[in-house]
Amino acid sequence: MTASPSRGRGLSRRHFALALPSALLASGCAAPHRGTGRPGDPIVLTLLSHYASGELKAALQGPVDEWNATHDRVKVRTKAVEFTDLLTTVMVRQAAGQGTDILHPYCLWNGQLVRAGVLRPAPPEHAEEIGRGYGAAAVGSASVEGKVYGYPTEMQTYALYYNKRLLRAAGIDRPPRTWRELEDAAYRTARRDAYGNTLVQGFGLSTYDDSTTVGQTLALLNAAGGRFVSADGRSTAIDSPAGRAVFDLEHRLVVSGASAPGVNVYQAFASGQVAMVVSAGWWTTNLKGLMGKDYRDVGVAPVPVPEADDRPATLSTGFMLGVNAAAKYPSEAWEFLRWLNTEKVRVKGLGKSAGTGATATRMSSLQVSVGSLTGRADDMRTLLGRGGDPNLRPFLDALAYAVPEPNVPGAQQAKSLLRKNIEALWTGQRSVDEALRTTRRQVDQEVSRSW
Amino acid sequence: MVNVLTPETQERAAHGPPSAGAAVDGRGRTRQRRRQAVVAYLFLVPTLLFYAVFLILPLGFALLLSMSRWAGFDLGDIDPVGLDNFAGLFADGSTFLAPILTNTLLFALGTVALALSGSVVVATCIDKLRFQGLWRTLYFLPIVTTVVAVGNVWKYMYEPGGLVNGVLNALGLGSVAFLQDPDTALPAVVVVQAWASVGSAILILTAGLKSIPESYYEAAALDGAGPVTVFWKITLPLLRPSLLFVCVTQFLTGLQSFALIIVMTKGGPGDATNVAALEMYRQAFSYGDWGTASAAAFALFVVVLAATLAQLWMFRRKGEDA
Repeated sequence: MTASPSRGRGLSRRHFALALPSALLASGCAAPHRGTGRPGDPIVLTLLSHYASGELKAALQGPVDEWNATHDRVKVRTKAVEFTDLLTTVMVRQAAGQGTDILHPYCLWNGQLVRAGVLRPAPPEHAEEIGRGYGAAAVGSASVEGKVYGYPTEMQTYALYYNKRLLRAAGIDRPPRTWRELEDAAYRTARRDAYGNTLVQGFGLSTYDDSTTVGQTLALLNAAGGRFVSADGRSTAIDSPAGRAVFDLEHRLVVSGASAPGVNVYQAFASGQVAMVVSAGWWTTNLKGLMGKDYRDVGVAPVPVPEADDRPATLSTGFMLGVNAAAKYPSEAWEFLRWLNTEKVRVKGLGKSAGTGATATRMSSLQVSVGSLTGRADDMRTLLGRGGDPNLRPFLDALAYAVPEPNVPGAQQAKSLLRKNIEALWTGQRSVDEALRTTRRQVDQEVSRSW
Repeated sequence: MVNVLTPETQERAAHGPPSAGAAVDGRGRTRQRRRQAVVAYLFLVPTLLFYAVFLILPLGFALLLSMSRWAGFDLGDIDPVGLDNFAGLFADGSTFLAPILTNTLLFALGTVALALSGSVVVATCIDKLRFQGLWRTLYFLPIVTTVVAVGNVWKYMYEPGGLVNGVLNALGLGSVAFLQDPDTALPAVVVVQAWASVGSAILILTAGLKSIPESYYEAAALDGAGPVTVFWKITLPLLRPSLLFVCVTQFLTGLQSFALIIVMTKGGPGDATNVAALEMYRQAFSYGDWGTASAAAFALFVVVLAATLAQLWMFRRKGEDA
């Protein structure tokens, strides 16, 4: 019997069976996210963010591609998950020793991440650069106990959205500046049908999610000069005259029927069924898409303050780009972040108002392209220019006086507990006093556990 | 009394007293048995490994975590705290016992009560109809529909201006904020959970109805029993094994489920619809408190075990073996 001629040259089943596991093992050991490890081969940094789809994904990929095209030694590879899965993904990957080199966390989680040893403090030269280039709220969001942990990226400040048409119909020609005016406008614009269904909410309070419920309340609390968490971050400060004033205001609005917390305010405002609502700047882009021509009825003003002569204040929330404590090449990661966040480049596609030599950081251009802001006020002025959406101006101005959302260890749980108590207040389960007391007790207990 | 020799003893008797050869045979048989045992265990190894990796190991890890503090990031940071997590769950002012665990039990009990009574009625009706397969399929449809879709559709139906309130308004009644009112939120979600799980119960109960011998009904008809008497005296008692199965499985599902709640109310307003499984998920994945989450998991496990044993005991007392 003669052997088949192809047998000697080709890959036999036995060879294949032997080769496959070896190949798989070899490819696994190559650890693609770290590079091959061979001398001369590029270092590959991984970046995990929630820019998972659509224009967000494309917006981040642009500068990353630019970096990869212009840098031979260090390459960056992005990984993305939906925002709702971001913290879980960070946890699971970190526990499995598969944490990415660069993280893009919501600043609320910073205390938790620092406490767990996930985030690496920014080296002094980077910390200095961050302190110099960004507004106080942005730096505060990216810091834990006074130590900077990353470059602030997306910043959101809160302001008052109002429907000009509904206010005009109620005989009001300008947005409210004080709480008295706010309340008055809310009562005058609210309408219900005979069955108790809300036709128009005067002031939109919403139980839609943690960020909506708590964001509105904290923006009003900050405007009243109050704080959610004490300066040392170890207890809550909401059980104060300012906190009581906010809870009282919200309680009155709900009881009088000027607010209907059960309604999805994001849909209702876009449909012209809400006269006023406090929300963050990202919403402008969504509203333009949802409302079309009716967007011209939308105005934005600073969050009203209790008295006319009070100093303005509001809430700011944000994200930052930080380096994993377990990153193998931290200095390369910080270098990439500096390039992305602080290096100024010529801005493309700006109107004449910005001038031909206008420059901004890549991150600022990225954020503005998706309707968001960064904590770099100079970049924002350049990018938003004079011809931009005037509704973004109050959010930009607020960067100067906004109070960063607390990011102490246990901040996420504190936020959830606050939301539950606000909802209990709105639905009549608790009185103002009970809600304040319970919030203080529960939050103090949980925050102290986290330290 | 007749003495019967086993084939082995007969063989041994025929060969006389045990000899060296017999001892060798005995050792051979022992070796063979041992070899067979080894082979049997080898066959069992994949299954045992599967259970070890996916059941015993996680269970042990969860037990360890329930007595530790761990943020979920670094396995080296697991910090033993004894029974502190359990003490925290049941401490004064903690929301775990009330309203969370209470809500869990009410949610499960409400779901079982509604789904069971509804499915008994529907299954009995279907059993008397033509095209039974079609009806069963129709009622089974919610089971194959994703919870997110079911939750969102019902959420819109419950909203002020939604279908349910539209019907109430058409009847001249005022609107009800079903999911926003803490008094109606939990019952509103229970109705949806029961509606979504009634299909599988109907499937089991119709099978149970088919297994009841027709002769009982014929005898009852000859005795002049009415439909209500037949239902209470024949159908329901003979359906008890199926009812037990439905009751236990639905109750266990109810105690552990939170998907529908997270879609419809996110546990709110306040803690009005918060249940143990949702709280566990939040403690672990949102707050990074894996110790409390694991302790809550064990507390729920004890509740589930106790409830199941109680159900089995109750049904066995009535003479039915699950």
